[in-house]
Amino acid sequence: MQRCHRFKPLGTPKPIVVHSDEQGNPVHVRLLGKPDRSVTFIRERWRIDDEWWRRTISRDYLIVILDDEKVLTLYHDLLTDEWYVQ
Amino acid sequence: MAPRSSPSQSLPTREGFEWTRTHNHEPENDWLNTVAIDTNWASGSGSETVFQPTSVRASNESRQALCLWLPTFELRLELVRSPELDRTSVALLSPGENTRRTIWQVSERAYESGVRPGQIVSQAVSLCTSLTLLEPDPAHYDAAADTMLEVLTELTPIVEPAGRGRVFLGIDGLERLSGPPNQQIDRALSLLFQVSPAPLVAATRAGVAPGKFGAWVAAASAQSGRPVIVSESGLISFLADCPISSLPIDSIVSHRLERLGIRTLGQLRRLPELALVAQFGEDGRNALAWSTGCRIDPVRPWHKPQSIRVSLDFPNPVGLTGPLYRVVDQLVERALGRSCRKGRSVAAVRMSAYLDGGGSWVIERVLREPTSDRERIAAILRAKMENSPPTHAIETLTLEITEFGVSSTQTLLFDRTTEESRATGHLDFNHNEVPAALKNAVNELKLRIGHSPLYRVIEVDPWSRIPERRNALLNLDI
Repeated sequence: MQRCHRFKPLGTPKPIVVHSDEQGNPVHVRLLGKPDRSVTFIRERWRIDDEWWRRTISRDYLIVILDDEKVLTLYHDLLTDEWYVQ
Repeated sequence: MAPRSSPSQSLPTREGFEWTRTHNHEPENDWLNTVAIDTNWASGSGSETVFQPTSVRASNESRQALCLWLPTFELRLELVRSPELDRTSVALLSPGENTRRTIWQVSERAYESGVRPGQIVSQAVSLCTSLTLLEPDPAHYDAAADTMLEVLTELTPIVEPAGRGRVFLGIDGLERLSGPPNQQIDRALSLLFQVSPAPLVAATRAGVAPGKFGAWVAAASAQSGRPVIVSESGLISFLADCPISSLPIDSIVSHRLERLGIRTLGQLRRLPELALVAQFGEDGRNALAWSTGCRIDPVRPWHKPQSIRVSLDFPNPVGLTGPLYRVVDQLVERALGRSCRKGRSVAAVRMSAYLDGGGSWVIERVLREPTSDRERIAAILRAKMENSPPTHAIETLTLEITEFGVSSTQTLLFDRTTEESRATGHLDFNHNEVPAALKNAVNELKLRIGHSPLYRVIEVDPWSRIPERRNALLNLDI
């Protein structure tokens, strides 16, 4: 029997509900099926603008610390105005 | 209270030679040699329960300890079984060795001829041509020891064995029930007389003291019928005369101390703790604690885990390895199939046999890693059988799972602490160099759910700025 090898991308972004303040910083986040958590600290922030020659990617990345001390890597898709956790 | 005897005057016996009181060839060193050998019990089987710090004391422990010691327990049992050998030169061979058999225990007459424990057989026979060599019968010894432990629970529920022929009894609070320690000892001996041959019990040495160390030293310095009882207030002065080698510490440490001229616990306790710790580490600290009576190890009740036992009787005794190995496979399968295993892995096994013409044979093996793999357990037993084969054909073969491990082996699959995993840790799974444990687990999962749920991580574009482009999962179909 021939083996069938299929790739599954690792670390695919998942949508997340984020409430942000006036400056665009996340204040509350809610993962699917989980309760709301407030963001206590933004540890790091960077931006990616890439692949303008085919399908433009423009993301604002943040590493945030939640009130239950969990660390999340979020990004704000600047083209669609949607938030993802990665 | 019985008259206290000085340990240096009434010497305990050498392992395999219990008559040194009347035939004391080495009056200066005998105690030292004897105890140096005998303190192995502190690091032997079940030692984890023998000496423990006293900081946390449970309610089922006993500070006051009674030690009953039957020197050369195994040889005495043989002599009880064959009384005609009592006045001859007899030596018991050490168990579990194939080549270069050595002497384990020797009788008085054999000792007089120069035979000593540890000598190789040819050496012993050349020293005593009339020497009768006995094969050990561990199953018989274990059964006798278990019977004694069981009967002693009638005196106190706190019974802690420390090797065959040595047992600690917790006697806290027994005064009102059984009287003072002297009467408690009498009661213990009368219980032993009920189940064990009189010559065996008559040789029992008994010692009472606070803590197991004190009780052991007291028993070792006692004589048959004359127990040594050490009171709480007399413990320190009693220990002062005891030799350094009575301490259950590494023999290298005690030898070093002796070479430095420190021969008794009294001399040891004059040394500063800091210096002892600096020189000997934890052993130095413990030695000082025992010698000053600061460390009192309570007696803890013995817990015997429920084992799984399967056996097979042969219609005709079997001596060929081929059929025996097949029986081992069957026994392992049967033992693993017992529902009382409850999915637990196997951590230690014991295989015993009754041999054609009498006698028994035992091998034990603690597995380096608990496993439930039939072939692996059988292979370990076969290897052990090859190294220590039974001396005669086997009539009954018994397999016992004596210790159990965790239920799951999942943690072992990628465990880099194991030798196999370390060896395969750097290998590339693309080349099918997959650890056997992982391969087995994947095959089992494929049987259960129809496909392999395992993936391996491969690098696609490791330097990509887009995180999801860096790595991917590839189905791991082994």
